[in-house]
Amino acid sequence: MKKTRTACFERASPALKQILLQLYCADKPLEVEHNLHEFGSLQYHIQSYATEPHHAYLSISTPVLSTSSSIIYGFSRPNLQTVKKICREVVEIIEPARAGYQLTLKIDFTKIPRKRDAEKIITDISSVQAAILSSQLKQILTTVSTQEITEGAYKPIKLVYHPNEPFYVVKQPTKLTAVFPIRLKEDSDVVIAKAFFQELVDVGRSGVCPKAPSCYWSPIPPPELRGESMKDLSTNGGFVSFDIFARHVHGKKLDKTVWNLLNFNALVKYHVKCTKGFVQRRMRSRLDSLVEQTAGSAAHKQGRWSTYRKS
Amino acid sequence: MDGGWRGDDLVEIMIFGGGYEGGRLGRGNISLSLPFSCLVFHLASTLRLYLTCIRNTLDAAMCLQNFPCQEVERHNKPEVELKTSPELLLNPVLICRNEAEKCLIETSINSLRISLKVKQADELENILTKKFLRFLSMRAEAFQVLRRKPVQGYDISFLITNYHCEDMQKHKLIDFIVQFMEDIDKEISELKMSVNTRGRLVATEFLKQFI
Repeated sequence: MKKTRTACFERASPALKQILLQLYCADKPLEVEHNLHEFGSLQYHIQSYATEPHHAYLSISTPVLSTSSSIIYGFSRPNLQTVKKICREVVEIIEPARAGYQLTLKIDFTKIPRKRDAEKIITDISSVQAAILSSQLKQILTTVSTQEITEGAYKPIKLVYHPNEPFYVVKQPTKLTAVFPIRLKEDSDVVIAKAFFQELVDVGRSGVCPKAPSCYWSPIPPPELRGESMKDLSTNGGFVSFDIFARHVHGKKLDKTVWNLLNFNALVKYHVKCTKGFVQRRMRSRLDSLVEQTAGSAAHKQGRWSTYRKS
Repeated sequence: MDGGWRGDDLVEIMIFGGGYEGGRLGRGNISLSLPFSCLVFHLASTLRLYLTCIRNTLDAAMCLQNFPCQEVERHNKPEVELKTSPELLLNPVLICRNEAEKCLIETSINSLRISLKVKQADELENILTKKFLRFLSMRAEAFQVLRRKPVQGYDISFLITNYHCEDMQKHKLIDFIVQFMEDIDKEISELKMSVNTRGRLVATEFLKQFI
């Protein structure tokens, strides 16, 4: 079976990467303008001018990761520092940003060292949204020490990335626990999601991925969320929890872990949608074989009658 | 067999493991026009006995003839659906494999209705069965004998009229119904296994991202 990767695992936007590679490899200056809309209200605007060869302007509008108590508009200084670190020579932040966008970057393709490294650099540029989100989560977690309620225990932090899909991070002495309240529209979606969560828990326990975070599912809110509002804890899909230890956030793994957690809800919905599509395809193919059997019953009778009439 | 039921009471036929007790469910022992004897067996057997009982009952019940509507001139309606003339209806037969699986066979002079309740062990099988059978019911015209809406309390229903018996071979029709029941069970099981397998693959890939 051909192994394909799910797009939501990729930190780099595939469409953005393709467009930037095309601009980089173009033999002559191109005048293009692209508007990309991606999952989670993310928008990219890419523009290049024939009068400015080897340059492209990338504008980004992305939902900002915020806590329930603070609403953040735009990007803070640490976020912008993170963006600047992505290919410092190639990317320049333009201020003010393009109207309707939070950030505009000027990309200088001439500064990309060699063709062999070009794809890696362009991939890093295409991952700018993931870098911004990671930076925002790190910023939020560093301020958690002010919310300590008892020795070693901290108040749950409610994070909002997609509207109506908050999740919680609970900092504990030796680990972080990420708790996802799951809400789905239809009852059939809930059943498929629960089957998936069961498999997730089983795979976590089976030893196939021993170093992966421990995963739990519960139909009721876990004890860590005691005291949170009933509105946020009312779900139809239960609660999925991940225990994140130091080894999962060490070095380069931090960005990966943050990205995976932020896209967990999207993954669940994508899996439910794909499963429903698979079931539909399977039913259609089965329908054909079942109808053939009915046709067989009729054909035999018609065959017999036509023979009778001939004789 | 004992004296049995009289009147319009539903006759419940359940199968003991290993065979039939007392009466025999062969073609010559069931007469749909007479009151039925009550044959009660314990359900412990395999699908095969259940299907054999259904096959034999259908074989006896599928004796249909053309019968114009008594109430409306020049109309010809399946009497099993209307149920306005009791003299044209035969006693329905309910064959139960267990509490969750049963088959109701209702017969009249010109039509026969078969309603099936499919086993659903858990929530996932429940939604897969509902989706699949609703999918088939919406395409009932492709099957000719399938009813668009199942009888209340059942998952899927067939309506066979005397015209179907004229166009199709009776034993082939019965084979189709019995095969359909087997295929449904098999398909639901395979669908459930596929859904769980897909979930496991996705879960494994997701957890591998953290390593």
